[in-house]
Amino acid sequence: MVEAKNLSMKYGKGKQLALDDVSFFIDRGEFAFFVGSSGAGKSTLLKLIIRELKPTGGVLKVFNRDAGRLPGHRLPYLRRNIGMVFQDFRLMEERTVYDNVAFAMIVIGSSRREIRRRVPHVLNLVGLQDKAKKKVTDLSGGEQQRVGLARAIANRPAMIIADEPTGNLDPGTAMDIMSLLRSINLRGTTVLVATHNRDIVDQFRKRVLYLENGKLVGDEQKGIYTNVH
Amino acid sequence: MFISGFMYILGETLKGLYRNRWMCITSTGVVMVTLLMLGLFMVVNLNVRHITEAVKEQVEMVVYIDEEAGRSTVEELGRKIADHPEVERVDYVSSEEHMGRLQQQLGGMLEGYDSTLDNPLLASFEVGTEDPEAVVRLAGEFETYPGVAAVFYGQGYVENLFEITRVAQAIGLALMAGLAVTAVFLISHTIKLTVMMRKREITIMKYVGATNWFIRWPFLLEGLLMGFVGAALPLGLLHYMYSISVEWVAVNDLMFINLLPLQTVMAELAVYLIPLGTGLGILGSTFSMGRFLRV
Repeated sequence: MVEAKNLSMKYGKGKQLALDDVSFFIDRGEFAFFVGSSGAGKSTLLKLIIRELKPTGGVLKVFNRDAGRLPGHRLPYLRRNIGMVFQDFRLMEERTVYDNVAFAMIVIGSSRREIRRRVPHVLNLVGLQDKAKKKVTDLSGGEQQRVGLARAIANRPAMIIADEPTGNLDPGTAMDIMSLLRSINLRGTTVLVATHNRDIVDQFRKRVLYLENGKLVGDEQKGIYTNVH
Repeated sequence: MFISGFMYILGETLKGLYRNRWMCITSTGVVMVTLLMLGLFMVVNLNVRHITEAVKEQVEMVVYIDEEAGRSTVEELGRKIADHPEVERVDYVSSEEHMGRLQQQLGGMLEGYDSTLDNPLLASFEVGTEDPEAVVRLAGEFETYPGVAAVFYGQGYVENLFEITRVAQAIGLALMAGLAVTAVFLISHTIKLTVMMRKREITIMKYVGATNWFIRWPFLLEGLLMGFVGAALPLGLLHYMYSISVEWVAVNDLMFINLLPLQTVMAELAVYLIPLGTGLGILGSTFSMGRFLRV
């Protein structure tokens, strides 16, 4: 599903490599953590997968297609298969919970009937069925991240990419969000999470890919944060 | 695209206009003033062109025939001029006819003068050309034909007339280009503000897989609407102003000011101003979006 071969990324001439000769393969339905300290290259890697950036070296295949060579007009169709979850939620604050989720479906041209059917369903999955009409600013951080999750799965993507999804949440709420991601993964969706939250990684015992200064220095199935390095 | 997408685009266009209503009103207002100036200029230009064309129609050349030229030379000369591809019409005017015209013009002043005995006026060909501006060149050519004494076409006056027309058209084009650039800049600036205000939304749209065209549509429609209103209002105002002018000319019996009819002017203005206004609006929004779509 995601295959990196000698992948490298440099942001500009004279700059240090943000990713240096990274190779890995993530299969369909996997749950994997990308861990490492700030600046290790986790976010750069996720940005390459969603083709927000193009690699400066090596090959990155996403859904068996070379993401770096994907023409601009095909990009929206790649992203429709990937649900994004962000640390800062990136919601439209002046809109309701329902509208935020429906928005993801409207922009890819879903029918009104499909939107009316699907949005309550995904809100139910994340436990926000009673808050559909609330403005997102009236919700707690954890609830806002649930809206982000609902939006990410609204279009039934094959893969969810979460960049520090628990970064702004207290430990209890963070665990709730991670449990939701796990249940999404159990339904067959590939989940990639970039985090430096040791507790979560250690508790989940999923695949852990450890990045340090742009290099992949560890890759362990059912790993824990501290063991990988 | 499904109805949800269409409704979204329409809704976002109207919301965008409402959210930035003051900026939109200001911008549309300035576009309106710009297009009003452009329209005023076009009205003047259209009428000047109309009057100039009428004057040009009257431009004709007189080829005076050498009094020594024999009958066959004159006939040959008439044929050569008539066969010229740029010549539309040739009329032979004998020296007697010239004298008759002169007597008519001068009234009783030549009474008693017997022109059959001594007529100093030369016979001529009066030549009308397809393109009045070709007169100067053709005159030079006809002067070399055998049997020609002189060619007259209002030397100096005609060149000046054509020069003035050319300068007026060049100034007009420059002015129109300047005004168009101003309108594009203003609309582009307004749309850019809207785009910046919705930067977060656009980024989210890009992440969830919206195509660039889906994102562009509301902004394009916004620009189009501003351009359309910015063109339609001046058109209405110009209609009112021009109808007053036409009436004023008629009431004051100034028939020598040969104004174009109201319908002709308005049709011409609408053909240019409406597409120009909407086109400028679309161009303005296109310019303002570029880098925001690169996510």
